[in-house]
Amino acid sequence: MKKGPRDRGTKGPRNMPLRRPRSAYRLVTVIPLALTLGAAGGLSASAADEAFAGLAFRVAKVVALDDADTVMNDAVVLVQGNKIEAFGPAGEVEIPENYRVLDFSEHWLLPGNVDAHNHSAAGSWGDLNDMVYQTNPGLDSRCIPQAENDWIKMARTGGVTTVMMIPGSGTNLAGMGTVVSTGGKNPGEIIMRSPGSLKISQAGNPEWYFGGNGRRFMNWNLRQTLEKARDYHLKWEAYEQGETTERPEFDPIWAGMRGTFRREYPATLHTQGYQLMMTTIDMITTKFDIWTVLDHCTFNGWKVGPIVSQSDAWTINGPRQYEFDRTARRMIGNASGWWKNGVRRLGVNTDAPVVPQKELTYQAAMACWYGWLPYQALRGITNITAKSIGVYNQVGSVEAGKQADLSIWTGDPLDPRSACLMTLVNGKIVYDGTQGLRRF
Amino acid sequence: MLYTRLGNVACLLAIFGSMAAGAVAACPPPDKVALTGGRIIPVSGAPIEQGTVLIERGKIVAVGKDVEVPYDARVFDVSGKVVFPGMINVHTWRGMDIPNENRPVTPHLDARDALDPSQLFFEDCLRLGTTGVHVIPANNTVIGGVGRVVRPIGMTVAEMTIAEGAFLKISATPRRGHDRMLQMAMLRETFLELDDYLAKLAEKRYEEKLKEDEKEIEVGPAEARKRGRELIRAEDIDDQHRNLLRLRGGQVRVEGEDGPTLFKPLGAFVYCGNAMDVALAVKVANDNGFFARTVLVLGGDCYKAVRELKQAARPVVLPSQLTHRETNPLTGEVRETFVPKEIFEAGLLFALVPGPDDSYAERMLTYQAAQCVRHGIPRDEALRAITLNPAKMLGLEKRLGSIEPGKDAHLVIFSGDPLDFTSVVEKVFIDGILAYEREKDVRLQRLLSSEADQPQEKAE
Repeated sequence: MKKGPRDRGTKGPRNMPLRRPRSAYRLVTVIPLALTLGAAGGLSASAADEAFAGLAFRVAKVVALDDADTVMNDAVVLVQGNKIEAFGPAGEVEIPENYRVLDFSEHWLLPGNVDAHNHSAAGSWGDLNDMVYQTNPGLDSRCIPQAENDWIKMARTGGVTTVMMIPGSGTNLAGMGTVVSTGGKNPGEIIMRSPGSLKISQAGNPEWYFGGNGRRFMNWNLRQTLEKARDYHLKWEAYEQGETTERPEFDPIWAGMRGTFRREYPATLHTQGYQLMMTTIDMITTKFDIWTVLDHCTFNGWKVGPIVSQSDAWTINGPRQYEFDRTARRMIGNASGWWKNGVRRLGVNTDAPVVPQKELTYQAAMACWYGWLPYQALRGITNITAKSIGVYNQVGSVEAGKQADLSIWTGDPLDPRSACLMTLVNGKIVYDGTQGLRRF
Repeated sequence: MLYTRLGNVACLLAIFGSMAAGAVAACPPPDKVALTGGRIIPVSGAPIEQGTVLIERGKIVAVGKDVEVPYDARVFDVSGKVVFPGMINVHTWRGMDIPNENRPVTPHLDARDALDPSQLFFEDCLRLGTTGVHVIPANNTVIGGVGRVVRPIGMTVAEMTIAEGAFLKISATPRRGHDRMLQMAMLRETFLELDDYLAKLAEKRYEEKLKEDEKEIEVGPAEARKRGRELIRAEDIDDQHRNLLRLRGGQVRVEGEDGPTLFKPLGAFVYCGNAMDVALAVKVANDNGFFARTVLVLGGDCYKAVRELKQAARPVVLPSQLTHRETNPLTGEVRETFVPKEIFEAGLLFALVPGPDDSYAERMLTYQAAQCVRHGIPRDEALRAITLNPAKMLGLEKRLGSIEPGKDAHLVIFSGDPLDFTSVVEKVFIDGILAYEREKDVRLQRLLSSEADQPQEKAE
């Protein structure tokens, strides 16, 4: 092979400009590492935290995002153990002795963000799509989450504390998702609920499993799978309630899906566009009476708003926040479209790592740029998403007694200039951006 | 779920948001509608000058010159206009995601699962005065699944539905990658497998019954199958075989959560791409007992099998390309045959279908009918081929296809005669609902506007 001046192996002045940035990059990666190590005796070491009885945050504003829409200025939030102990106006709350006081008196405190549609807790793309059959009941993602993986660390830098990690959309039914916390050192610590949800993809990817399926086949086939699962559940239910003495045959594949029909966890729906979303509401939400979280909800899906708002489905839009309607030749904000069409159980997602997990707030900001309402958008990444996946009793708002999953911001998280300064999961500081560069 | 008329209007607003202006926003369509002063072409009879059509709750209740208009009717003065029945597109896969599934034999699949109310195709149907669309899998198949007759308005498939699927798509012409022997073998095997499936099911049911009664088997397998046949319950039969049974003429009653569903016998739209496929189609239909419910969908040169078609005397759907061209390979001489003329002269019931969207004029059913008139087919016959004939083929002639009391109020207001090329669709009523108004058709108005879509001139 001929070696020319462009060859990387050739030494010469031509290569010099290339090298300099590379070495500079190395320097950048080394500095925060050194800072983190240097800070070991200070903020983030748990050993040091244990010396204190609790944490007290002095903040400029608490946006609690609870159902009373509490907003409190100049407040103190007390964290004890893994729980939020109390919060109130700075002058009224007495900070107990031996609490470590963290002064953020110019900054905002909010609940940790909750993403209802995530793949990055898996730590790699490799385990997401086990495309064994066109529908895969029996698969469960609880073996996938990797604690402390780089994507999870990245998530914390955007204040994200809880994610619904789900398998991919290569098939119509990809298995069970898992609710994962971004703080914790091992699977036992980070798995909040398993099964987290049943992942169903209505269409728009599963087409390619058999070299090209249409919606007629996929919907029929999915219906067959769900009917079999439901029949199995009903048979066992009848047996367990003593309606019959004949013990049904045990099948581990269908047994694992019974919770779907008891509404113990939701189905996470990969669904978008008018026809698919209409079918989802008709088939999954109405006919099978399954707790439904509609994810993506993009393209002209928002036009199904009048139907969706009459159902009990949750609409978690993203990561695409706008539709370019070619026929009307106009930009439509998806979230805005849903909201204007009467949908109130509305949130946004990142589909991380499609969009980096830390940019959940940016998804909400974009939704507002395209016409949604800022406060509702904040609800749509905390309160609403937590409720949609059934973890609001633990996380999703700042309330005494709830798990201490908090994020502290330099200002409104929807303002792209704002930065997350600190993230707490389960009462522990898992990200501290007050020291050095803001990265993990 | 209960669908109100209000819902229908809301859907129009939602789907064709840019078309329907705020005027019809929150009010339900009026119970009584009268179209007065227009020239009515009922198709079923002679035209009526300056007549009135009275609609009540979505049905036509009176047609004629001296119809009294109730005081509480919403009156549309259509003097100088023409009132025509809503037209019917009797054979199209449009409105679904893809024409055919990748699997060759899919009698269990239903157009319902792919119908997309938001498709622009349906908006175009309104624009061109088509109010009934038979959406059915396309021709690249062996057995393609069940179709559905829909109207081009509604937010859901249920709201759109005029009639549930009554026809399976079957192709006598080889699917891509098949030859005729394989195509015919697969059709034959499908029905042989059905017999085998039923025999096994009968045996199983007989054995189950014996077990229930705690008896020993005392008869041979043939007798067991015969006795077991009567024991088969509808819910024992899966979707694939149920639809094949219905195709053979069986009625299947299935107990469901919402009460029993009666699945009526199915007919078939059998595609014959070439003249030689007509005989094959007739044979398959005869062999499997659905000949009497068969509609033949004809390709380009099928008129050459006119003798077989005449003998079969089944309704036919004509190809959208009405003129068939052939070049003599020796002389280079081009011969053109106007297909509908051959079919009309054979005395067959025929329907016209529109050409593809990008065709210049064939995309309009009225143009297809006008071509027939030009080639000597009587005008009334040409008009029936886009209205009443397709309604008859679909078994919906009591509801659609003409302007007669008792029928569904599917009406098109043309600015002039439907076959005049300068006439345009001004209004469309579907089940009494004002579903389309030309002056509120934003997309069309923009297209027709002299200001819109002009390329911006570069500054000198």
